[in-house]
Amino acid sequence: MAPLQRRALYSFVIGLVLTIALIAVFAAQGDITAFERDPNLRLVTYAVLIGVPLIYLILVNLTLRKPTQFDERDRLIIEKSSRAQWLAVIFTLVVWTIALTEVYQDQGQVPLTFLKLIFTSTLIISTLAHSFGILVGYWDINRNG
Amino acid sequence: MGRIENRIRRLRFDHDEMTQEELASRAGCTRQTIIALEQSKYVPSIELAFRIARAFDTPLEEVFQYEDS
Repeated sequence: MAPLQRRALYSFVIGLVLTIALIAVFAAQGDITAFERDPNLRLVTYAVLIGVPLIYLILVNLTLRKPTQFDERDRLIIEKSSRAQWLAVIFTLVVWTIALTEVYQDQGQVPLTFLKLIFTSTLIISTLAHSFGILVGYWDINRNG
Repeated sequence: MGRIENRIRRLRFDHDEMTQEELASRAGCTRQTIIALEQSKYVPSIELAFRIARAFDTPLEEVFQYEDS
């Protein structure tokens, strides 16, 4: 397993676990407005918001300075993975737009909390999608060349 | 479309059974790239091709060959 591939895998798994934990906490609260009421929930959300990109930064970016750990083939895969990241961000925004429109169409307004959640989820998904794109890139290049 | 073949595995053997790790270190790439090259699953850039040839102290065309299909 290439160094970048291994780090992308760690980053993806840790990010996924943190994200699932965050969703579970929200689900346990049962109401989206808990984000505004509960300071602990906000703390968990902010920790994940900062933690996931930070883990990604440390694992994927900072440790790949040596040419024997990162070369042109890895760079090619990273460039391709940006496409997955871009698609995931667009898809996330589309899902939020459709969901919020359908749920809050009658009220004519959306709770302010969603602004923060849209930003948080997009950032986390963007990071996860980049790691995932790297993993798929390695799978593809090892399979098809 | 042609195909680019290489003799990296053979040349490693001829150079005192140079390890993939050592070649990667000399050429400035990862061992995984050397593995991919030996399996003909990756075509290197011109720069990397020259660095690999230099690691073997041999002309480029001794390492890489273009074959018409």
